[in-house]
Amino acid sequence: MKGTFLWRNRVVLTAGALLVISLHLLSGGLSRGGYAAAPALAILEALRPVQAATARLGDGASSIVHNYLDLVQVHQENTALRAEIAALKGQQARIAELQTENQHLAELLELKDVLGLGAVAATVIGSDATGLSHTLVLGQGSSSGLKPGMAVLSSRGVVGRIIGVSIHAARVLLIDDHNSALDGFDQRSRARGIVAGMVDDGIIMKYVDRSEDLKPGDPIVTSGLDGIFPRGLLVGAVARVHREGPGLFLSVQVTPAVDFHALEQVLVVTQQAPAAPPDIRG
Amino acid sequence: MRLVILFAALTYLSLAIETSVPYWIQTRILIPNLIVILAVDLGLRHHGVVPAFLAFAIGYATDAFSGSTLGINAFLITAIYLLTYEISSRLLVTNAAVGATFVFLGVIVTALGALILADGAAGLAAAGPMLPGIALQAAVSALVAPLMFAFAAMLKRVVGLPVALARE
Repeated sequence: MKGTFLWRNRVVLTAGALLVISLHLLSGGLSRGGYAAAPALAILEALRPVQAATARLGDGASSIVHNYLDLVQVHQENTALRAEIAALKGQQARIAELQTENQHLAELLELKDVLGLGAVAATVIGSDATGLSHTLVLGQGSSSGLKPGMAVLSSRGVVGRIIGVSIHAARVLLIDDHNSALDGFDQRSRARGIVAGMVDDGIIMKYVDRSEDLKPGDPIVTSGLDGIFPRGLLVGAVARVHREGPGLFLSVQVTPAVDFHALEQVLVVTQQAPAAPPDIRG
Repeated sequence: MRLVILFAALTYLSLAIETSVPYWIQTRILIPNLIVILAVDLGLRHHGVVPAFLAFAIGYATDAFSGSTLGINAFLITAIYLLTYEISSRLLVTNAAVGATFVFLGVIVTALGALILADGAAGLAAAGPMLPGIALQAAVSALVAPLMFAFAAMLKRVVGLPVALARE
């Protein structure tokens, strides 16, 4: 066996075969929902405890750091008093953190009531592994009723949709990812288009007729026609309208309503939204 | 088997860091690409069929936490392993500096490769403005690489694996 062509080139041949398998995965021959995705979901589930722990640790650590920075400024205080202050500040930080969390959850509850659809609150525990795509990891999964394709919202607007679910974790494709698109319209002019993410960050609205009267500041909301996002949810605001150049459509830059980096709690819509009435153009 | 367990643990740790740290530090380009460092370590020091499968598995695991298309990172990390293996098998020295150079180039190749595989020509066109950020992350990764290599070497010694180049 040793000395043969196959043996001498076994590493290259193995890696070559694995590259072909990767390309097969990539080509969509095996979708994320298929059996090839099952190990990926198992990995997602396996990492969830660490991510949840580090997310909690991060919140606690930042409170502790701030507390100790405060203490550095009071050198003359005696040790007992400093310990007492540290304890009190720690409690205060925890209370403030709980108040913030309560406020977020109250806002989400209000949104849930406004939507009138079934929804589940979820905690953000991680972000994209490479940073080249825009995804989040949630600390709730299929055990909480989450499924791929469900809409994810915050109190400020649309966040994204679920693309993968394990038992206790889920991955969300953010609306500013370059593979993301949703059906939306300009609330003032009623002009419809496809809101899509871009590779170099940001969101654009595509396929908007050149004759439409879009202006900076116009709110862009979901149309409900994509069957994922309920109608009328805020996506963002028109930042810039490019009318220069040839083509049938306008190029519209949109500023997202949600600060994706600051997300801590989100709302996952578990119930399908009713079909939207067609009173929009496009 | 020890190699598989060690790299599974290192991948688990790397993915935990890669997905958790950006939650606190929003400047993503300052966070080193630990996955590419692992692939380069494999390509430099472990030549065989099992390490090739390991590189594929590391990429596949990264796909579980990145993007919406399965296979992009599996392809790129396997390609990084193959390139590192091919070049390093022709080099006389494979020290930390060589590894850091591989990591620098590997981070750039994976970033550009991911954009092209995900978006084709549009991805390549959009890569222009992102290049300074990608290069900065590649430099940070190259700086961190010797530390990661040393950490991996320490763990390899602990579990009784060869630290220098090992062929099956």
